[in-house]
Amino acid sequence: MRILLVEDDPDLGPAIARALRAEQCAVDLVPSGIDAQHLGDTERYDVAVLDLGLPDREGTAVLKGWREGGRDLPVLVLTARDGWSDKVAGFKAGADDFLTKPFRIEELMMRLRALVRRAAGHGATRIACGPLAYETQTGVFELDGLPIKLTALEHRVLAALMLAKEAVIERLDLMERVYEGDADVDSNSLEVIIGRLRKKIGASLIETVRGRGYRLTAGGA
Amino acid sequence: MREPRSIHGRMLALSVATTLVALPVAGFAIGGVLERFVTHGVDERLSDRLQLLGAVVRGDGTVDRTLLARAEVTAAFERGGVWTIDAPDGAFGSAMLPIAIAPPGDPRLGPGPRRERDAGMPFDTELADGTAMHGLMTVRQSSAGPVRLGVAVPRATIERPLRGALLPLLATLAIVALLLAVATLVQLRLGLRPLRVLRDRVAAVRSGAAGDVPEDQPEELRPLAVELNALVREQGAALATARGAAANLAHALKTPVATLALDLAGDPRGGQVARIDATIRHHLSRARGGVVDRRAATALQPAVEALVGVVAALHRGRGVTVAAEVPDATVAIDAADLDELVGNLIDNAARHARSSVMVAAERVGGFIELRVTDDGPGIPAADRARATDPGVRLDERGDGHGFGLTIVRDLAALYGGRLTLNEADGGGLVAAVTLPVSAAG
Repeated sequence: MRILLVEDDPDLGPAIARALRAEQCAVDLVPSGIDAQHLGDTERYDVAVLDLGLPDREGTAVLKGWREGGRDLPVLVLTARDGWSDKVAGFKAGADDFLTKPFRIEELMMRLRALVRRAAGHGATRIACGPLAYETQTGVFELDGLPIKLTALEHRVLAALMLAKEAVIERLDLMERVYEGDADVDSNSLEVIIGRLRKKIGASLIETVRGRGYRLTAGGA
Repeated sequence: MREPRSIHGRMLALSVATTLVALPVAGFAIGGVLERFVTHGVDERLSDRLQLLGAVVRGDGTVDRTLLARAEVTAAFERGGVWTIDAPDGAFGSAMLPIAIAPPGDPRLGPGPRRERDAGMPFDTELADGTAMHGLMTVRQSSAGPVRLGVAVPRATIERPLRGALLPLLATLAIVALLLAVATLVQLRLGLRPLRVLRDRVAAVRSGAAGDVPEDQPEELRPLAVELNALVREQGAALATARGAAANLAHALKTPVATLALDLAGDPRGGQVARIDATIRHHLSRARGGVVDRRAATALQPAVEALVGVVAALHRGRGVTVAAEVPDATVAIDAADLDELVGNLIDNAARHARSSVMVAAERVGGFIELRVTDDGPGIPAADRARATDPGVRLDERGDGHGFGLTIVRDLAALYGGRLTLNEADGGGLVAAVTLPVSAAG
């Protein structure tokens, strides 16, 4: 899961980013509304966490800009303004969820996973594909009912494949969802991660579609 | 003497005192004029008599007794009238008047310039029987010596008409006093009415029914109204600044508190962070409430629908549905306060609901009763009663949850409404709050 985190506070921003990375997420932290606007328009994110009180451009303006530009990126507004009028204004501007500071990281994570899951069109919190199951609320993968250990990159790749199960994800699309914006990416590394995942969950579940990308499927074998 | 505390009392006391002094003065003045007038009339008549009496004295000082015997000379004296002639050839008269002791040196007694008609000199005396008399006397010079002439009538002749005039005079003065009193009261009422109106306007400003005092006032009160408005504006600005500062402080604290909360996740010291957060929320909600704008008019339906959408989105993960059936109505509550009140009410229900929250509203008299029903575990009856007591915080754990109903209760009370909690059919909670309907709608 790749997250655009827009937070200008020099302490809170990195703290949230650290906490989210500890939950296997790729996080791009931007302290500026204008930069956030640009990144949301040009990069591919699973979800955005948006602070409203930004120094250069109001969070609601950034959000409106995305929505007017046709971006349907799920957005969770994270703000100190906890009045209900602020919440109404946030949702009217196009927010998908709202969390007030201070918050527990579990709460934020749960809400972000739910947003991503719903954006992928899954109603239920548990997504299954053959012997593999993904508990979206906790972010835990199970194989034949037993939890499996994954590295952060493996987790991101598998979560992206799982949310799009039975559909092909373009290779570039997958790369964008897995690596942080400033990561120095070796074009072969995705193949390496796919290889490791196949070893852990069984080669037949991840299908390579030549010239396009990958597909997670229960009926591939 | 202590001054009366009211302007009304001061002006009334002043007016009564003035009347009490002025009326006797007027009475004495009118009485004096009247007495002079009556006395003058009597003196005129006495003077005529004196003239008639003078005609019986011949130039040589002798009295023409035949003339004197003629009825018209003496009969001209009415009841109780007396006359005296003290001539060199003897004294005549109905009574001896003490005219001989007329003060010497009086120009009219001396030889001084002759006047065409001697009006006589007035004098007052008493007869032997004690009757007070008022008379005129004169002295004629004859070849045989001075002839003294005197006529007098009882003083009663003067006093009777005076006494007769006294009653009408007093009655007239009493009527004047009454008219003055009524005029004073009317004047005070009319004069002080702008003050009462101004006081009502100030009260309206204080209660929030009006924004300012109308400056279209009588000349004397206009500066006061202008000053009052300036005061209201300054106070409002100061209050807004203070509330803004409190809100800014609270909001500014939230980001570092959020950082601390993240850093201390899983650490027992995190409890302190939760306490800080609870304190901030509590005081922030208090900073929000406090001043009520009763002129506010906010449409209920769109506000409730927007909030239902927000609450539904916030609790989507828990599978709680929120439905609303609210009539079109305008409530006399500030838009932000209404959001806070209704948002907390619905959010509290959604927090505790198992699967559904229902929002309904109906008009009851001058209020809209908004009922939010959830299918959660409800609140035990004993706690429900306590929950609506003023000053009781519903949630002492301080984790922030459960503050909602406290905010709802306090905000509703601020606008004259109230929160009641009841058990729903099936065990959930029905939270009902009354919201004043706007006069505009």
